[in-house]
Order: sequence, then C-alpha cells, then structure tokens
Amino acid sequence: MNKVRGYIFSRPFMGERIPQNIQNLAIRDFCSKNDLDFLLSATEYAMADSFLMLANVLDELPQIDGIVAYSLFQLPENDQERQLIFQSILKLNKSFYFALEGLHASTATDFSRIDTLWKVKKTLPRCYLSQLV
Amino acid sequence: MNDYLNHLSFISAEENALAQEFQKKGYVVIPGENSKIFESMQAFIAQEVAKILNHSYDNAEVYLNEFHHKIDVPDLNAIRVKVISAINAQSWFRKAYYHLAKNALNNLVGNELAMQVRVNLSIQLPNDSSSLLPVHADVWSGDSPFEVVVWVPLVNCYQTKTMFILPHHHYADVSKNFKELSKGNSEDFYQSIEKDLEWVNIKAGEVLIFNQNLPHGNRINTESETRWSMNCRFKGVFTPYGDKKIGEFFEPITLKSLSQIGMNYHFPDIV
Repeated sequence: MNKVRGYIFSRPFMGERIPQNIQNLAIRDFCSKNDLDFLLSATEYAMADSFLMLANVLDELPQIDGIVAYSLFQLPENDQERQLIFQSILKLNKSFYFALEGLHASTATDFSRIDTLWKVKKTLPRCYLSQLV
Repeated sequence: MNDYLNHLSFISAEENALAQEFQKKGYVVIPGENSKIFESMQAFIAQEVAKILNHSYDNAEVYLNEFHHKIDVPDLNAIRVKVISAINAQSWFRKAYYHLAKNALNNLVGNELAMQVRVNLSIQLPNDSSSLLPVHADVWSGDSPFEVVVWVPLVNCYQTKTMFILPHHHYADVSKNFKELSKGNSEDFYQSIEKDLEWVNIKAGEVLIFNQNLPHGNRINTESETRWSMNCRFKGVFTPYGDKKIGEFFEPITLKSLSQIGMNYHFPDIV
C-alpha cells in the first residue's frame, strides 16, 4: 500500500477556512477509498504565504510515495512556486493527491490540469460577479 | 448584396429558435447529436450492471426497462453507486456525454464550458418511493443560476416515468408567493404548482437540457418499466459559481486559446 503524508492548513486559503479536524477527515476518507496508507498530516504554519511545512514534506518524499493535501488550492498562489513543487514531485516519480477535488497528479499532463484549475480560479475574481455566495 | 448584408444576424434563425424555446419552456429536448456515442454509453451501462449482478441479456434497452424484475429495492442504491463509479472511471465517458449535446450547449450556454466532474445516474423502479426527488430547484441549494442540467435518458421516459418541470412563464407566481409556499412541505408545494407542470416526454437517444433554476422533480414511477437517466451540469467557465466550485465540482473542458493567454499574462516589470 502506498504511504502518503497528509497536508493540511491552519489558515484560510483562497477565502475558505476549514477546521483542521474536517480537513483530516476528508483526507482519511480519501485515503481509505483509494487504498492509500495515510501518514499523520503535516500542518502548514498560520503565517501568510508560509509553505515551510510543505517544504519539509517535499524533503521527506524519497521515503514515502506521495502527499495528500486537503485541497489543490492550498498550493502556493505564485505560479512559479507551484511549478517548482510540481517539478520536484515529477523528478522523484511520486504522486500528489488532493482529497477535496478527488484528484491525483503524477505526470506532467496531470500537473498541467491542476495548473489550469489554478489559473481559472485566480482569474475568476476578475470576472464580474464571479462568486454568488 | 445590400439585401444580403442587411439580413445578416449574429445568431442564426435555428440557434435563435432553440434559445427562444429554452427561455420560454425552461427546457429543450433535442435529438442526441451522435447516436453511435449514445448507443455505446447505453451498452456500457447495461454491461456494467449485468456484470455486477451476473445477468445476461439480448437487448440493452429492454434489459434496463425490465430491470425491476431482476432486483430488490434495498439493493438498488449499492448497484447505482457501483455503476456511477464505473462510468466515471472511464476517461471517455464525460467526453462522450458532452458530444451528445455539444452544439446545443454552445448555443445555450457558451463555447467555453466547465463540466461537472462526475456524471450521475438515477434509477427509478416502478412503484419505488425510495428514489423520489421532491420538487426543488438546484439553485435554491447552492447551485449557480448560470448552470444547466443535461439529462440523458437510457430508456424512453413518459408520464410518471419521466421528470416534471415548471415552465418559465409560471415561475413568476412561485417567486412572488415563495414565502407562503415555503411554509408547507415539498408535497404541499408540489400540489400548489401541479396544474402548471410539464412532464417531459423523451425517448432514449434524445437529450433534455433544462434550466435548473426552475422547480422540477419526479413522482413515484407508476408505469410498468424502470427509468434510467443520467444527469450532468454545465456552465460557462467564467460565469459566477455557487457553492459548487471549480476544481471540486466543475472542471474546464473547452478553454479557448485567448483565455489561456490571458490567464498567463503578466504586465512587464517597470521597477
């Protein structure tokens, strides 16, 4: 069974705040449905723009099979920083899973799909009335 | 030449007719835009069901219509969930679904679309009250008013074997009296609008596109056949989202080049 490290946030992301226990519940459920061996989640620091914990998990990647974040929108907003993360996962031939969206990325095509979702999400606030609620 | 130029239009007469019908009735029924694709989807679902239950059959549509003779109601949801997983595990299935209504969606919604990540399946056995969908409008539960539902029956649907919808021209009364109507339960609500509802008569191979902002639902199927239908939502990628967000519920399927260029554009640094 593939060993995957959970990754959750202790601050809001993209305007959403999800309690940590709920993030972990979603990740556990995702792992159970996808036959993944869930390793206790790393909790990202609350300071704005911090990705120190994610960097630690990336350092741990050679010993595990991948990362399961609660949401793909917990990745850095900065396009280049996001690309660096994708590259480091691709280089090691590992996987990045996103529990809320039910997505799995392990190839360049998969990461391109993730990046498109990110770019649309970032563009929406510039569209008139992009969010109803 | 002047006469020709003066008769040019941004929207063709055919597109306009479909749009007018959609606005007026709140739905359109169109022939599926690719019958081979529909037949493949219908065959795939029948095969999956038969595989799960170890059945054999000669004709997919007959097998689905007569399914109630071969299953007990308590087992129905487990089968439904397994089949939904199977269809969504096929990389071709959502693309096939889109191709059943591509031109109509381009006309009614737009050509730069987001599609629901998972296609749903409903099964309504005759006289089964467990799969009822009481009258509702999706937008009242968090869907964006910019979404349409593409509803694809796998068998002919008629009378109580189909779904109902309140046509747009009757909706003004509901909206005006909503406070009063919402005091009762959904059955009271249904009774108050029953006389104005339209029951969508639709054949296997046809596609229903409906405005989910309008009240709709189904009743106990009192016909002698099982109803099988799929549903999936579409919206313009850059139109407002409700509680069903990009990534978790919708995914862009037809982003155009210039949108990709625009999304990647950064002003040059000046400092």
